[in-house]
Amino acid sequence: MKASLLFGALLACLPAGGAEVLHVYTWADYLSPEAVKSFEAAQDCRVVIDTFDSNESLYARLKTGAGGYDLVFPTSYMVQLLQEQGMLALLDHAALPNLQHLDREVLAKVHDRDMRFAVPYTVGYAVIACRPDRLRGVTASWAMFGRNDLAKRAVLLDDMRETLGAALKSLGHSLNSRDEAQLAAARDVVIGWKRSIAKFDNEGYKAGIDSGEFLLVHGYSGDLFQVAQENDRVQILVPTEGVTIGCDEMVIPKSARQPALALKFINHLLDPEVAAENMEWLGYLCPNREALKRVSAEFLKNPAIAIPGEVKARSEVIDDLGPDLAKWTKVWDEIKAAR
Amino acid sequence: MKRSRLPATLTALVLLFLNAPLAVLVLNSFNASRFGGTWEGFTWQWYERLWQADEVWDAFLLSLRLATATTLAATVLGTLAAWSLHRFNGRLQHVHRALIVLPLALPELLMGMALLSLFTALHIPTGPLTIWAAHVTFCISYVAMVVLGRLRDFDTHLLDAARDLGAGPWQVAYRVLLPLLLPGILAGALLAFTLSMDDFVITFFVSGPGSTTLPLRIASMMKTSRSLPVINALSTLLLCATFLAAALSLRLGRRCTPPS
Repeated sequence: MKASLLFGALLACLPAGGAEVLHVYTWADYLSPEAVKSFEAAQDCRVVIDTFDSNESLYARLKTGAGGYDLVFPTSYMVQLLQEQGMLALLDHAALPNLQHLDREVLAKVHDRDMRFAVPYTVGYAVIACRPDRLRGVTASWAMFGRNDLAKRAVLLDDMRETLGAALKSLGHSLNSRDEAQLAAARDVVIGWKRSIAKFDNEGYKAGIDSGEFLLVHGYSGDLFQVAQENDRVQILVPTEGVTIGCDEMVIPKSARQPALALKFINHLLDPEVAAENMEWLGYLCPNREALKRVSAEFLKNPAIAIPGEVKARSEVIDDLGPDLAKWTKVWDEIKAAR
Repeated sequence: MKRSRLPATLTALVLLFLNAPLAVLVLNSFNASRFGGTWEGFTWQWYERLWQADEVWDAFLLSLRLATATTLAATVLGTLAAWSLHRFNGRLQHVHRALIVLPLALPELLMGMALLSLFTALHIPTGPLTIWAAHVTFCISYVAMVVLGRLRDFDTHLLDAARDLGAGPWQVAYRVLLPLLLPGILAGALLAFTLSMDDFVITFFVSGPGSTTLPLRIASMMKTSRSLPVINALSTLLLCATFLAAALSLRLGRRCTPPS
């Protein structure tokens, strides 16, 4: 009796059979319900979405052999790593006619320019936001963090690649530099900044700049745009020295069970109508030229779209550093230990 | 002599320290600001959003089902383990005891990775079933420990007395042993339920496509979700449910125990 109850409870946990099922593994709230619904209706299938909280947990999961995900949304540098490990399936471009709508300028920056394994999904930049009502003479420059009137009311990202990258950019170097002298110079810049900031932080900066607890924060354009939309005292600045470009891409793991359906879903998300609705819902920019003609004027104020051309040209995507990563970790540890 | 105010003040401060985060969470579930930095006014919108957030409810229901199935299996197996550990002696029992204690001592991370490598080696696809198996594995230990504690104060003469009065082995187990152990078994079951409901680390490793539990869902929402206060709303509801359940069990408990 108890055994049959148990078995029943277990069966209830399993997804119901029937139509084809597409398993998507992505960030939370990263697909508009409408885009999913229209795909399910068109293909007569079910889309099951699971979510992860960091590229590293995604990697750990795929690496330890968890299969069954058909479509995954890692960030560029993780795409590079996954591809080098031979974990990604080649994309059949014949099944993806909507690739033509993608922004070539963004493609020129990412690792997989020919989209052999990955198709860009969203693009964002690491920028700064400030409170001009409390901070006088703001400029669009990383040098803002070196000001001595911040009184510890600023936050830098607790991310080695972002923060050291910003310092490298402020010195006019590449943010993927592997040169030890340049890294040492960047280290000294960040140690100087450390005196005027409250902490390195990845989560609390949105609430902090919103409430005025912090006057200057370093964060992602998509998130800060949402804060600025709600609070007009928050101003977003794109440092003219250049910024990091963050790109989340769509890839199909080799272990996928429904690669054909996954390809159809990629194509569906690239459809201009679908992409326009999707990005308004997301709040992040999808690099889709045709879709951008269909979004609201309000959305076009997004700093990721309004970024000036010459700044865009100076901006870079974070590359996987391979064995040179150790140089960075050493410098980052020195920054963390410095007083 | 006047009584010192210090103990009362200390108690109040400790209670405040422990409960202030909960108060902030409940308050923020009614805050119109999405980021919770400032008070932007009272709103029900997060509760409305929660009502429509299917993916959060799916995760919650999955967690609930898993916790129920885990509790059932772990309680039966854990009680049996405790009884056999208490009743029988032998060299193998040392091994048995070690096996029961091991999941309590092992770091969760290690256990999660070990279970995942086992499942991959056996070509078992990860999903609700593997999460269930993993949860039962560590919950058995907790149930067994609680029931063992109860058994230690147990007077075995009661069983002999029942047998003397003509009760068969099943009758002894069913009418004497089980009712006397019941508080321990129930405590163990409750513990297993909560542990299964909020386990993150082990679940992270052994979950698979279509099996995002509530803790996994919340962790991923922390990073990208635009409606994080939905989680505050859900937590507030869960908090109310927990208080109600606790109050109810207290009430029932009072009715059952005779006044002393």
